[in-house]
Amino acid sequence: MIDTTLDGSGAASAAPARAGYRFRRRSRALRRAFPYLLVAPAVCFLLMITLYPGAYAIYQSLFYVKFNTWQFVGLDNYRDLFADREFWAALWNTLVIGGTALILECALALLIAYYAYRDPWVKGWRIIFLVPMLFMPSAVAFIWKLAFMDGRVISDLLMRIGLIESNIGWTSSVWLSRLTLIIADVWQWTPFLFIIFVAALQGQDEEIEEAARLDGASWPAIFWNISLPMMRPVIAVAVVLRGIDITTMFANVFIMTRGTPGGSTETISYFIYRIGFKTFNFGYASAASFVMLVITLVAAQFVVKRAFRSGRD
Amino acid sequence: MAHIQLSGIQKRWGSVWGVRDVDIDIADQEFVVFLGPSGCGKTTTMRMIAGLEEPSDGAIRMNGEVMNDVDARDRDVAMVFQGYALYPNMSIYNNIRFPLRMRGVPKAEHDVLVRRAAGLVELTDYLDRKPSALSGGQRQRAALARAIVRQPQVFLMDEPLSNLDAKLRQAMRVQIKHIQRQLKITTVYVTHDQIEAMTLADRIVIMQSGMIQQVGTPDEIYNEPANTFVAGFIGSPPMNLIEGTLEDGVYTAQGIRVAGLSQRHHGRVILGIRPEDCSAGGDGAQLTGTVYGVEPTGDVTYLTVKAGEKLIEVKAGRDYRAQLDAEARVTFDSGRIYLFDTETGQRLR
Amino acid sequence: MASQRRSKGESLILRYFVLGGWALFCLVPVLWFLSIGLRPRTEIITPQPIYMPTFSLDAWHMIWKDWPMGYYLRNSVLAILGSVAIDLVLAIPAAYSLARYRYRGREDIGFYILSTRMMAPAIVAIPIFFLFKSMNLLDTVWALMLIYAAINLSVVTWIIRSYMLDIPKELEDAARTDGASDLRILWEIIIPAILPGIITAGVIGGIFAINEFLFTLLIASTKSAYTMSVALANFTGGSDGVIYNAIALVAFIAFVPVFLVVVAIQKHLSRGLTMGAVKG
Repeated sequence: MIDTTLDGSGAASAAPARAGYRFRRRSRALRRAFPYLLVAPAVCFLLMITLYPGAYAIYQSLFYVKFNTWQFVGLDNYRDLFADREFWAALWNTLVIGGTALILECALALLIAYYAYRDPWVKGWRIIFLVPMLFMPSAVAFIWKLAFMDGRVISDLLMRIGLIESNIGWTSSVWLSRLTLIIADVWQWTPFLFIIFVAALQGQDEEIEEAARLDGASWPAIFWNISLPMMRPVIAVAVVLRGIDITTMFANVFIMTRGTPGGSTETISYFIYRIGFKTFNFGYASAASFVMLVITLVAAQFVVKRAFRSGRD
Repeated sequence: MAHIQLSGIQKRWGSVWGVRDVDIDIADQEFVVFLGPSGCGKTTTMRMIAGLEEPSDGAIRMNGEVMNDVDARDRDVAMVFQGYALYPNMSIYNNIRFPLRMRGVPKAEHDVLVRRAAGLVELTDYLDRKPSALSGGQRQRAALARAIVRQPQVFLMDEPLSNLDAKLRQAMRVQIKHIQRQLKITTVYVTHDQIEAMTLADRIVIMQSGMIQQVGTPDEIYNEPANTFVAGFIGSPPMNLIEGTLEDGVYTAQGIRVAGLSQRHHGRVILGIRPEDCSAGGDGAQLTGTVYGVEPTGDVTYLTVKAGEKLIEVKAGRDYRAQLDAEARVTFDSGRIYLFDTETGQRLR
Repeated sequence: MASQRRSKGESLILRYFVLGGWALFCLVPVLWFLSIGLRPRTEIITPQPIYMPTFSLDAWHMIWKDWPMGYYLRNSVLAILGSVAIDLVLAIPAAYSLARYRYRGREDIGFYILSTRMMAPAIVAIPIFFLFKSMNLLDTVWALMLIYAAINLSVVTWIIRSYMLDIPKELEDAARTDGASDLRILWEIIIPAILPGIITAGVIGGIFAINEFLFTLLIASTKSAYTMSVALANFTGGSDGVIYNAIALVAFIAFVPVFLVVVAIQKHLSRGLTMGAVKG
């Protein structure tokens, strides 16, 4: 018989009498407050970075600020802002440049993912394709700034191939300079979408593909009719994330074009930066910041909630 | 001393009822099994005893004290889970030691207690391993050791054997019963397996759709089922339940005529007779039908007889053989016939 | 096994043409830029591209001697590690609260945290600038640490939350009946179980911190708080114009550790990048 006594005496004993055991009751209020307490530090920290600056920006936008002098102007800043051609141009630029880049990135990423996810060397491809994304954005901006410089590598190569006759001024033409920004962004961030798409495709059920193959479908047909529709929520999330980041394009503009020529490559982030830190018109810049905040919040309501529905639950 | 009392326990989520009107007293050192199909409320009830769920209504008492607002960690219970729930990042030794640390048992005693618990389940050689390095049966024993290490007032076990294969299950069943007897700790055990229930329990609580159907010893449950659900749940193959008419003590259904029954009831009734209480052939056979199936299994032959629309199971002797569609006659053990109300399913006495 | 997906009946030529083409497009600029970094000063200035460059470690010496590269490196590392540490300390409890508890306002709090990911730096750049100015924090590594932590907190929280949701609830139930308090459960059971997730979150947060440009530009205006990201932008030295070879080397110094770390966690990469929405 197994000796189950604590003192090894071998005598079977009852479980220690617990007659005097009093159950501990804890504070109900603490129990209910606990999840809030857990999340409070993070939320407070974030409030500092959103609520305070938000309030400050709103406040400052009602003033004309030049260095240390503040002059109340009410809604004048906003009035001027909405009448400002440059402001609308910046929004337009952001839309055009960001939109084009996003579409290109998405299309390219899908194309490459389509070919890569079934390849036996997919792991190797993945590592190679990751490389552009791992450089600092400011470094990437310099790479392409140098490449597109007047008379430099790209122009030279194109001339040698015979595509163009003489030097192109990449930075002096509106569309070409936008193109340089787009190319730089596409080069760096297509991998972001690619990684996500490949992961999603590899996660899909192979049996469905095999069944379709047995039914005689070609690979492009399978991709178009089966894999792609199944990927729709993933594409939505990835595009939303990348789209959000693209609208904040700043480093490329700052390093490569500075908004030239004629403000045609000035994104909204650069606009705010220029107004605030080049002309030091802080009140005006705050007004622009606030408008951007509103746009962001509105977009967040629609976009984030829908794209992240499954992630949140 | 752990005497558990559930009074008027209700649990619902929105409009969905999980547990209804549960009243039960569990005596100290008793081994009580909650038995029933999935979704019947047995696990929910046990989780309420553990403190992992709060009853929507009613009181849970331990040794007379109301426990509803006591945290799970402060109730002196230990639980063994269906999936074992061993902490993956700790060795088995530390897994077993965990409750001792949490409850403030003096450090000096830890090693002795852990080794003793491991010894009881024969896991002493595996103490250094992590759960992922153990087989299913070993993990099960580790979970058991973790539960017994601190000698709680109550053991709770949630289908602990359902992930094991049949042979292992039987071995563990014996060991669990043995340990419980030695440690003399009140145990509440949840399962859907009637064999486990019948072999382990001092008393069985059968539940269905959130409500208690019957509480009794295994013998009582088997010999005196309270309603058709209990009658049909216990026993393998289950009890034959046949609808028919009872008039003047004589029951009739298609192919069946049974006399000498109670005169107290009449009208539509359900007759119940266990396959093991039927015998094939016999002079005073009450059932006539055709052979629908014959399944010899070595020690017993299962005979299925078709009478009218119904199929009746009979446990025949191991040498019984018959041709399909041949005529079959079945005799019922008259002392073991049950009658149930057709509407409520309750047994008629 | 995904890597063994059969793909017979498809034009291999086309596939390798596309994949190889893109691989070239990815790597050629990188290699070219590396070659720029290893050229002597004289070759950078010439207007015509040189196809047979000469090897030189000019730039390497320059960044360590003429510029306080060690200092930039130190600042970068401090700011990044500090911000990741802050984020993990704040995010782990928050993620646990969002993942495992049910309480009123949980959805709204979750949405609020998620929405800060959407915030463009430019929106809060100016107020933050004034805030730090008034607190005399401008131009310090501390300011950078706080900014990076704030920007990345939502990402880190959400990634960790995603991993926490994977843990079977039974494990926590077991710990509760064993007598553990909620904080104990978090510390001894949850965190060890999601260590890969924590590392992934930290890496992703760290990468975003390295990449950060706008705030760093505004806040770090003198060398004492320069990080590599911004030092790059200011490698303009008088008569020489933009010193590309130095820039190229700094870019690679930042690149190599990032590359190694990302390769190490590549299994978790897609999950990290989408904050848990897509499980690689």
